[in-house]
Amino acid sequence: MPRLAGRIAASLMAAMCLAHAAGAATLQVKAHDTTGAALTDLVVVLDPVDGSHPRGAPHAAAHATIDQVSRTFVPRVSVIQSGTVVQFPNSDRIRHQVYSFSPAKTFTLKLYAGKDAPPIAFEKAGLVVLGCNIHDTMIAYVAVVDTPYFARTGADGTARIDAPAGRYRVRVWHPELASAVPARSFVLDTAGGTLDLAYALAPAGGAVPGFPE
Amino acid sequence: MQLRVRIALTFSLLLVAVIAATLVAVSAANRSNADREVNRQLDLGALVFGRALEANRRQLAQAAQVLAADFGFREAVATHDADTQESALENHGARIGAQLGVLVAPDGTVMASTSSDARPGTLFAYHSLLSSSTAPVSSVVAERGHVYQLVVVPVRSPLLVAWVAMGFTLDEAALKELQSVTGLEVTLQSAGGVVALSTLSVDARNAVIAGSADWVTRSVPLTADVRGPRALLSRSLKEALAPFATLTRVLVGIAIVALLLSAAAVLLLARQIAAPLQALTRVIDRIRGGDYHATVPVQRADEIGAVAEGLRTMQDAVSARDDAIRDLAYRDTLTGLRNRVAFTQDVDSRLAQANGRIAVALVNVDRFRRINEALGYAAGDAVLRAWGRRLADVGEHAFAARLAADHFAVATFVADEPEARAWGQALHALLSPGVTIDGQTIDVRATVGVALSGESGTTADLLLRCADAAVERARRAKREFALYEGRLDDANRAQLSLWGELQRAIARDELRLFLQPKCRLTDGAPAGAEVLLRWQHPERGLLAPVHFIPFAEQTGLIRNLTQWTLEHSVALIARWQREGYRLPVSVNVSALDLAREDLPERVKSLLDASGLAPALLTLEITESGFIDDPAHALHVLDALAALGVGLSIDDFGTGYSSLGYLARMPVQELKIDRSFVVELGRPDMAAVVRSAIQLAQRLEMRTVAEGIEDEAAARTLRELGCDYGQGWHYAKPMAVADYEAWMKTRVVALDASNVPDNAIREARPAAV
Repeated sequence: MPRLAGRIAASLMAAMCLAHAAGAATLQVKAHDTTGAALTDLVVVLDPVDGSHPRGAPHAAAHATIDQVSRTFVPRVSVIQSGTVVQFPNSDRIRHQVYSFSPAKTFTLKLYAGKDAPPIAFEKAGLVVLGCNIHDTMIAYVAVVDTPYFARTGADGTARIDAPAGRYRVRVWHPELASAVPARSFVLDTAGGTLDLAYALAPAGGAVPGFPE
Repeated sequence: MQLRVRIALTFSLLLVAVIAATLVAVSAANRSNADREVNRQLDLGALVFGRALEANRRQLAQAAQVLAADFGFREAVATHDADTQESALENHGARIGAQLGVLVAPDGTVMASTSSDARPGTLFAYHSLLSSSTAPVSSVVAERGHVYQLVVVPVRSPLLVAWVAMGFTLDEAALKELQSVTGLEVTLQSAGGVVALSTLSVDARNAVIAGSADWVTRSVPLTADVRGPRALLSRSLKEALAPFATLTRVLVGIAIVALLLSAAAVLLLARQIAAPLQALTRVIDRIRGGDYHATVPVQRADEIGAVAEGLRTMQDAVSARDDAIRDLAYRDTLTGLRNRVAFTQDVDSRLAQANGRIAVALVNVDRFRRINEALGYAAGDAVLRAWGRRLADVGEHAFAARLAADHFAVATFVADEPEARAWGQALHALLSPGVTIDGQTIDVRATVGVALSGESGTTADLLLRCADAAVERARRAKREFALYEGRLDDANRAQLSLWGELQRAIARDELRLFLQPKCRLTDGAPAGAEVLLRWQHPERGLLAPVHFIPFAEQTGLIRNLTQWTLEHSVALIARWQREGYRLPVSVNVSALDLAREDLPERVKSLLDASGLAPALLTLEITESGFIDDPAHALHVLDALAALGVGLSIDDFGTGYSSLGYLARMPVQELKIDRSFVVELGRPDMAAVVRSAIQLAQRLEMRTVAEGIEDEAAARTLRELGCDYGQGWHYAKPMAVADYEAWMKTRVVALDASNVPDNAIREARPAAV
């Protein structure tokens, strides 16, 4: 993690430079639940409004990986730009059969182990729920968005999105949200911004809120 | 209550109590057994029921879970392939025979269904069963008359995309199966308490729901919610008790038979106790009635036998004592003959039998007093015993008794008077031989009087008195035997009533003293009075002595009359004496009185009690008083004379008195009978009277003439030397008050001096 932190910190520095160069700004997100605990895996998506700036190409890697470790999808929640290809490596010794019946992306992998599974490209925006046909408890969420400006809060409940200053629609999503959070407008100015978010959570296993459009 | 009944009742009641207690105990045990059995059955039934539901639930859950986990089905769900969904539901439902298969969307609408109860697009009726929990949710629901056991499981792919509900219909067939397995009636109630299904009839299920005591019911909730539908498992107590009821009936039967048998046995036993007791009671009744010869009919070795034996002994003892008492009451101890009471009873009972006539003989010992006096009372007793022995055996139908001192009586059956006469004479002959005492033969004579019963109505008492009168007549006639010849039947009944009346007269003081003055012939001066008796009869008025004195003499009542007269006369003279008059009075004493030893004693006690001067009382005796026993009469007269009372011979000349005795008697006065005085006109009578007067003068007695009715007679008597006279010429007999008045006029008329004193001095020259 220190290495990862270091990398994120470096990336942020670079992004700030970039943003500054093209009017870039940084949005600091800090999320916690109603008990005050840091809220992990909160997906935050910034959709540019009014075409104030082009959508641009995905800035993130066009490849993502969702591993299966100890009969758990890692990460549990992913957010990717549409068009991203996701690898499903199997780190367990047992085999898994990953599937999705979500309309955004329906697929079924054959039962596999290791890295035998072919990568899957997620073309269409929407929430894709992944399961394992063998292990009912294995669930992963993949938020496929059409914008390059998104983030997912870490274990400390913070995330950072570098995006050009401008007007955005902010969408947030979390599998345990007590209720879906409607999208809202947000203006990111060049000085950057901060989103301090707090949401009530429902107990795990309940209905999963829909991903805001 | 009879002993027998009481014993039987006691034992029967005891038995009934024991049987009743047994029945109650058995009944309670049965009831408790039945309760326990029913409860056990219900527990078991509830368990079985629960297990069956659980098995159903598992089956449903398994089927539903299998379906929900099927990848193809999940795909069909995810892809909203309704036809595939429905066919999958049908397919999996058919595997376990589930009647209901429903696929429910997360928003609660039905996506697919195998039953018309849940149409696609409608809201799933059992929304509460939809849960995000992975565990199957099961329940029993009742809807529109259908009861389902439902299991709902979620379908995830991998998130919850739907629910699969699988259900069995709980229909009548299912209930019947449960009923046959558990033996219980099953009623299903929906949440509102409405009966959805039942194996019971409407009436029975209503009874069950109402909590009737005929049913034992276990209410089993079918869901976790206690207000939810329930199964009522019930068992009819009546049915449960049925086998016990049979047992109870058998027991009651045994009890009745036992009761009857034991009642019969107890009755028999009680009879064995009571019957001899009743027999003994009859014996006791007979003993109480005086029959001591009853046989005691009980011979037993037990306690009752002991009582019977005791009764036997007691009967003998009572009988013996009764005989002894009877002996004392009815037997004369000296002779061993009957006494008066026994004799009277026996004669009366023979009179009542009325077969033939009864003759009663009264036997008196002549001069018995002399035997006692001369030889001692032991000799007298020996004579009586000797006669008793002779009379004890006088004939087959005859029997004898000793009535009083020297009076014996014998009774027998006779045909007529000649036979009675012969029998009486035979009796006399039987007693004629002398009695030998200590080697010395004493000549003892009997006087026998016989009375013979009439046709009817005669009593022993009357016969005895008539026989007594016959004895009296025989004595007067100086004969040994006499037969009473009066008519017993009518005349004597009249006499019998007279006898009673006279007794009553004495008791009620119906008798009156009358006084006839006795006057000096020379100057007519009063010199005392003779007491005469009148009877103030309540119906017949004042009766003269002739109407009752002879009867009294005949029956012996004369003694009572004499006693009465003496008492009242002495009282009268004593009163006069206290008033200052000395008026002497003469009282007649009968031969019977004279015969008694106690006359002097009686007179003495009267004199002593009254304080009367003895000289004022004179006793007049008739010649007949000497006939029986002149020596005894003389003895009594001497005793009377010793008391100082005057003595006079009444009716002189009519009897047969011995002149020899006359000379020896301590008598101061001789009364010439009226029969001579009224015929004084005849020279021969006058000669007799003169001789009598001269005899009296020679014996230093004064003479009193009775029945002087005119002056001529008075003059003649005066000339003959008679001292005193009484009769109508001087005064009639008068009542006491009249006499007192008469005396006063005479005293005034004659002299103012003490006439009574003179009178007595004149009357009793010898005593002064």
